[in-house]
Amino acid sequence: MEPSPSLPAGSAQAAAASGPDAAERRSPAGPQAAPGRTPRAGRGVWFNRRTVAVTAGALLLVAVLLRGTGYRYEPYAEQPLAVASDVPSDARPLEQFTARLRSRQRALGARLDALMPKGVYIVIDQTQNRLYLKRGDGTLLQAVCSTGSGMVLRESGGKKREWVFDSPRGRFEVRSMSRNPVWHKPDWAFVEESQPIPTNPADRLDYGTLGEYALYFGDGFMIHGTLYERLLGRAVSHGCVRVGRDDLRKVWANARVGTQIFIY
Amino acid sequence: MKASRIRTFAAAAALLAVIGAAAGCQRAGTPAAASDPRDEAARLQRTNAQLQKQIELAAGKEFYLVLDPATSGLTLMLKGAPLQRFTVRGLQVGHPRVAWASARDPRHVQSVIWSGGELDPPRQIDRLVIRSAGPGKEASESTPPPIPPTPEELYPVPSRYHVRFADGLSVEILPREADASVGRWAHARAAMAEQWGDIRSALRTSDRDAIRLRITLDPKDAQSFYRSLPPAVRLIVLDGEVEPAQPAPAELGDGR
Repeated sequence: MEPSPSLPAGSAQAAAASGPDAAERRSPAGPQAAPGRTPRAGRGVWFNRRTVAVTAGALLLVAVLLRGTGYRYEPYAEQPLAVASDVPSDARPLEQFTARLRSRQRALGARLDALMPKGVYIVIDQTQNRLYLKRGDGTLLQAVCSTGSGMVLRESGGKKREWVFDSPRGRFEVRSMSRNPVWHKPDWAFVEESQPIPTNPADRLDYGTLGEYALYFGDGFMIHGTLYERLLGRAVSHGCVRVGRDDLRKVWANARVGTQIFIY
Repeated sequence: MKASRIRTFAAAAALLAVIGAAAGCQRAGTPAAASDPRDEAARLQRTNAQLQKQIELAAGKEFYLVLDPATSGLTLMLKGAPLQRFTVRGLQVGHPRVAWASARDPRHVQSVIWSGGELDPPRQIDRLVIRSAGPGKEASESTPPPIPPTPEELYPVPSRYHVRFADGLSVEILPREADASVGRWAHARAAMAEQWGDIRSALRTSDRDAIRLRITLDPKDAQSFYRSLPPAVRLIVLDGEVEPAQPAPAELGDGR
């Protein structure tokens, strides 16, 4: 028996010592290393089959485990009612206890009602540019408006100031109302138009830009009319809330100084 | 004699029947009468605790959501004022599980005020920065400013999204019907991405969604909710079961 060319001589001798079957089993070169015997073609295939089977099994297991991983949804159910230890079991004390709870419920309900806005209030959805006039849960008016554009204005020269044109978020109230309002232009209005900032206050006055009415709600913000009604529904303002003429008239007719404004 | 005896027996039987029925009623009523007041007291305690929480929310400065399963309403509120109401079309609770083993969180969504709710994926705004040319100088170009996009153009809404709260609650918003404008392949991709996201979330040991509340809204409401939700929102879930008129849970998904 000649040693296999792929094996060192020592291993061939060892194989010869243990017989041809053993040599065939140990030889990594497979059946070809044992001349004179019919090659067992199934060996390599068997190995491949086993690999495939193990891999497929592992993949199947992983798939099954992943299928059982994630979130299991079930219909929402109310929290089960649990009777607390402080609830008396005797009839008379239980009656008194329940009466106290009812009385507390009324008091809490009244406190919660007191926190709700009274009368008409204004709600502004600044992302979708909508204004709602509401009373309680009812909506009296739904109007398209324009809120802050979110743009940033940077001053090149001078004090190198920066303004962000966002509408404020939160609860406010109408502080004052004016008919035919005059806009007292702030510095950014001049910076935006690349104009020098006037030293004379009279040069800041701008007539007609704010429409028929303005409802001031603090920090220079107001609900007012606009010359650019075609842009209503888009975020184009410098933070104020612009409303179309007809809707502004309805808002004016229903709002008072102190009317609450909610912007979200 | 015979007839009068029969009448006597009949009268006695009728009397016994009435007494028996009355006793039966009393027996049936006695335990109910004994258990109802305690249940009622427990319910009142829970209602009062929820009212207390609602007062706390209304007194705070943050925006908050009130989910009322009994009226199928999800209302965005601030300082006690309802700002926007969305009709809930379906409500499910999801719990994580890993390799079929449940990792259920013992907390109930009703028992706490959930806070710090943020949209995921977040709603982002690309701010346009304008640099002034300086006084006396002309603006860089005389081109008119572009017409700003509409909210629909500005904020594309994902088909499914979450509002993730601190302490592990996640509200998953699901539109009621599939968006017809999206193709099948896009749907399949979105579903696979969602599934993979669920697996990753469930496998996380920390910072995962411990409880999920899946809320089904009409597609318009789902989009509006995404566009309008303020940051750092809080949430309370009120007492009550989901109305039976709503779609059965089986219609809402595959149970996962």
